[in-house]
Order: sequence, then C-alpha cells, then structure tokens
Amino acid sequence: MAAIAVLPEDVARVALDLPLRANLSALENIALIPLYQRHYNAAESARQAQAMLDQLGHAGIALLRDPDMTPAQRFVTKLARALILKRPRLVIDRPGAMLYDVPYPAFIGQLAARAEMTGTWEIYDFSWNQVLYNQALDSE
Amino acid sequence: MNKLHFKVGLFAVASLLLAGAFVVYLLHARGFFEDTFHLQLAAASADGVAAGVPVVFSGIEIGRVTTLGLNEEGGIVIRAEFMGRNAKWLRENSTFTLDKPIVGGAKIRVDSPDLDAPALPDDATVLLLTADISKELPVLVERVKAVLDNVEYLTRKDGEINATLANVKTVTGRMTGEYGMLESILGSPEKARAVTDSLDKTRALIGKLDGLAVKVDGMAGKTDQWLFAPDGVAEQTRESLAQIRLMLNDAQSSLKKADALMTNAVEISADVKEGTQDIAALRAEIDDAVSKANALVNKINKMWPFARDPEVKLP
Amino acid sequence: MNFLATSIESLGAKVTGWFTVGYGMFAFLATAGLLLLDRTTWNRATFDVVVKQVYFTAVQILHVFMGYVLVISWLIITIILSTARDFGLTAFASEMTIRVLVLELLPFLTALLIALRSGSAINTEVALMQVNNELDALAHCKVPPMQFEFLPRLIGGVVSVVTLAGLAGLLALLMGYLTIYGVSTAGFEPYTQTIAKIFDFTIMAGLIVKCALFGLAVTLIPVTAGLETPKKLFMVPVSVLRGMMRVFFAIVTIEVVSLALKYI
Repeated sequence: MAAIAVLPEDVARVALDLPLRANLSALENIALIPLYQRHYNAAESARQAQAMLDQLGHAGIALLRDPDMTPAQRFVTKLARALILKRPRLVIDRPGAMLYDVPYPAFIGQLAARAEMTGTWEIYDFSWNQVLYNQALDSE
Repeated sequence: MNKLHFKVGLFAVASLLLAGAFVVYLLHARGFFEDTFHLQLAAASADGVAAGVPVVFSGIEIGRVTTLGLNEEGGIVIRAEFMGRNAKWLRENSTFTLDKPIVGGAKIRVDSPDLDAPALPDDATVLLLTADISKELPVLVERVKAVLDNVEYLTRKDGEINATLANVKTVTGRMTGEYGMLESILGSPEKARAVTDSLDKTRALIGKLDGLAVKVDGMAGKTDQWLFAPDGVAEQTRESLAQIRLMLNDAQSSLKKADALMTNAVEISADVKEGTQDIAALRAEIDDAVSKANALVNKINKMWPFARDPEVKLP
Repeated sequence: MNFLATSIESLGAKVTGWFTVGYGMFAFLATAGLLLLDRTTWNRATFDVVVKQVYFTAVQILHVFMGYVLVISWLIITIILSTARDFGLTAFASEMTIRVLVLELLPFLTALLIALRSGSAINTEVALMQVNNELDALAHCKVPPMQFEFLPRLIGGVVSVVTLAGLAGLLALLMGYLTIYGVSTAGFEPYTQTIAKIFDFTIMAGLIVKCALFGLAVTLIPVTAGLETPKKLFMVPVSVLRGMMRVFFAIVTIEVVSLALKYI
C-alpha cells in the first residue's frame, strides 16, 4: 500500500480509489485524456477511446455510465483509461477489490492477451491471493 | 439530430433576436437615428431648473434641459434638446412656461396654440415664462388672510392672550399685594376692528401687536421693580412675559413683511405682462411669512394652558 | 480575562476563515479567467459542455420561469398602478414599474431561482466528486477538471442569468405596457419616452454587469464550497449549506452595492 502511494509519475494506475467520473459515459471518461491532454478534437478523441474499448473486447459498454456497469465493465473502462495514458508502466492495484464477481486473475490475463501492449502490467495484490494466480496460470 | 442542442440553439437565437430588437428599439427611443434639435430659453430665474428637467407638450415629454448657465449680461440661458421628430410641435408662437407643481419635479410646458404657424428654427432663443401669476396670487393672499385671521382670533379682547395677561396680573398681584398696579395697563385692550380688506387688517393687527408688546414690556419692567426677591412664581412670570414679548416681536415682523409683500403683490399683478418681477422670490417670502405666523399661532396655543380649543385653522 | 482571550481568538479564526474562503474564490476565478484566454480551451468539447450547462440551467426551466415572471410582474405592476392612481401620481407609474421590476426585482429573483435550482445542484455534485475521489482520479490522469467541469458551469451560469433576466425584463416591459395602456398602440410614444429616459448607457451596462455577477456568484461559490468539502460523505450536506449561505450573502451584497451606486 505504502509502496503504491509513492509510485513515480510515469505509472498508470488502475485502482479502487481512482473511480470513473460518475456522470460521464465510459467512452467520455476515456476520451477525456486525448481530448484535454493531447488536444485532439472531440471526434478524434472519441474514435481513439472507442478503438481502445474495441481492442479490449468491450465495445458495447461505450455509452454506459459508472452506476450502470457491472464490476467487470467498470474495471475494463478503468483499464482502458489507464492504457490510453500511454505510460511505460501499468499498475493494477488490488484487483480483487474491483473484480469481485469474476475469477479475476484469468480475466486480467484475457484482457492482457487482447491488449497487445508493449510494456508490462504489474499487479499488486495481497499475498494470500497468490494461489489464485497460480491456478490461473496452471489452467492455461 | 441532437434534441438538446436544437433546443439550446433555439433559445440562443430567440434571445439574441429579442436582445437585438430591444437594442435597436432603445437606440430609436433615445433618438440615436435622428438629428437633435436645440433651443435656448432665456429666463429671469433658473430656480427649480436643472439639467434633465423635461420639456412637455400636452403632458408628453418631447425633450429635456441639457445645460444651464449665465450669459454676459447676467441673464439665465437654459439649453434644451429635442429629438428631430418632436421639432414639429415647436412653433413661432409657442409659449414656454416653467411649471413647478407642489408634488413632483419642475417641468417646462410648451403650448402651441397654432400648429400651422411657422416652425421654430434650430438653436432659436425663446423666452421662458414662469407660471401664470394672476392665477396664483389670489391663492396666496387667501392663505395669508387665513393665518392673520387666526392670529387675530387669539389676540381678540376676550381671547387667550388677554386672559393670560390677566392671569399673570393676578399672580403678580397676589404676590405683591398691589391689585391696581397692572390694571391700568390691561384695562383697555384694543378691540379687534372689523376690517374689510386684507391690507387694512394686517396693518391693524400689526398695530395691535405692537401695542400689546409695549404693554408686556412695561409690565415686565414694573414687575421687576416691585419684586424684591427674584425667585418663585415671580421669576416664572417674568420669564413668560419675556417669551410673550419675543413671540409678539416675531409675529409683528412677519406680519409687517406680509403686509409689504401684499402691497407689492398688488402692484405686481398690475404689471404682470412686464415679466420683470421675480415671482418665485415673492412666493418664497410670502410662504416664509405664512409659516412664521403659523408657527407663532401654534406656539401661543401650546403655551396657553387656558386654550379651550387647541385647533388652529390653517389654510 | 480568559473569556476575552477566547472570544478574540474565535473572532480571529473566523476572520482568517473568511479571508481563506475569499482568497480561494478569487484564486479560482483567476485560474478560470486565465484558462479563458488560453486558445486550447476553445474547442468543440468545451462548447458542448457549455451548451449542456445552458440547457440544464436555463432552457429546461424556461416555461416555468416565464410563467412565474408573468404572475409576479402582473401583480407588482397592478399594485404600483393602483397605488399611483390613489395618490394621483399616474405619470410616474410606468417609470416606477420599470425601475422596480426590470432593473431590480426580476434580476434578483432570477439569481435566487438559479441559485436554488442549479447552484445547490452544482455544490452537491462537486462535493460528491471531491468525496468520491473522482477529482483525484482526474488528477492522476493529468486532466485538469477546470476545463470540462468548472469553467463550463461558470459560463453557463453567467449566460443563463443574463439571458433569463433579460427575457424576464422584456416580458415585464410588455406586461407593463399592456396593463397601463391596454391592447392599443396609443401609449407607444409616451412608453417609449419613459424607456428612453430610464435606459441610458450606464444603466444598461450596469444591469448586464449586475446579472453577470449574479450568474458568477450562483456558480462560482457553490463550486468552491464543494471543493472545500472534507473527504467524508456526511460533510456533503454541510458543504451545500455553507455554499448556499454564501451565495445568498453574495447576491444580497451585489444587489445592495448596485442600488447604492445607482441612487446614492
């Protein structure tokens, strides 16, 4: 926990304490970054955001807002938002807290396979959950 | 089509159109699209006139005073501005009158008896008359008369003033033991004469007040001599006598002034047409005299504990 | 002695608190103003958010608002007119009506309505954003929330109050004409004269500035009050309460200052 709080600036985080903007749709949440950080126009930003969701295999959630999503959909949106930041490191902080309705190590594995990202994803989790990851790896 | 955007767009267009229309209307109303028409009004006095005073024709404002100042000869020059469309109401034979109603601000009234007369040229100089004196003067005279009636009512033979003087006498007499002392003074107070015209009435009243004042003075002096210890009731008596003296002086001077004014007023009404008299000043002075006399009547009534009827008939 | 020291201390704390609040507000305003000068702010996305804000603040309540203005102006005009008739001052009735309604009462009521409806909503929303860490998430993504959350609200508030007050004023002018002269063109000239007399350049500029300040007050203050909220859910109502209190004082202050400037 303490280690995560002092992570350097070039790390994109997916975490429970970094929620989505509640009254914006998934697409808008993701599009904020190209729009306001890189000053693309609105259409281009939306296109990039949609492309990111397509890549993760969740194109259908684009128009959902935070309260209407399942935990998995919410996680995907957060992940897309973190990916579109294009930072060298990606840290997933205690995924169990966000993905309580799916076998999450396997779920993250699937997403990682689709994302075709350069760079590594780091998962910080509690040590007692180690066994879950082992199972996921074994089954593959 | 985005419904939200359509609605906001409609709202914006409607608001902008309305705002634009209002601005154009306002500019039209303020004469932005028209030439202005100027007049110079020469007046004997600028009393009550200031920049912004409206010029009205048939009760509708057609222009307003912009500046006022003095010319080389010390005369007042008032500049007024009109919108071009209102210039048609201003004719060679138009009269300009300064109206100062009791309620509301002053205004300059334009009367154009003949709208077929030739139009006034731009920047013409016209005479500004003050409100018609022959109509106002009788009203003022009536007001002064009413006040004088009141003063007279109080000073009549068996009125409160005499009663009090009698009372003072009793008190003083009781103290000093000299009954006959003041009797000669108060024995023959002047009787109110029936007067037919207001000038005579005023003069008579002034004379009467004068006489009373002298008597009161005399009484005060004698009371002084006859009292060895200036305290108690005697002291109070002397004080009230002094007060009466003051009030009588006051009444006398204001009534004298009213008299003089009324004399003048008659002369003035004789040559209104000359327009040389300062009617505003006359009116202010008469008003002043009237209010002073009024105050006197009130004061006397307040001081007189014997006044059975505290009501003073005011105009 | 101890009591005196305590009360002085609490007074000092209050003054410092006011100063902090005021400073925070003006610093926020300055940031927003600087952002307005930035060319990148003026993009389609910001415009869309502004449009959305104007829709929710002004267009959505337009019909209700106009109905309410209709009733209020009709009532006030009738009262002024009958009083003026009783005292024989009919000549001043139209001027009085315009001054009372268009210049003072309607802008004030508009600001109050927007404060109650949108100001409280903005305050709650910003406070919830703050409490839910949404602002932290935006900070993590290096997306400044000013541009798409706060600035559009400020612009929307100013635009809405100015427009609504203007529409209300126009409606009141129309109502005044109809009540005084009835459905005829007879009174057009004198009414135009009265309007021309009242609305000179300073009055118009003052009215617009006043409405803009009202609009700013009913949005800026709730936003800053929301941002001040401590990260505890139960502090949200407290934050809204404080924000609304400040909005009320700000509106009254603006009105009083404008009256003082106009008539003293």
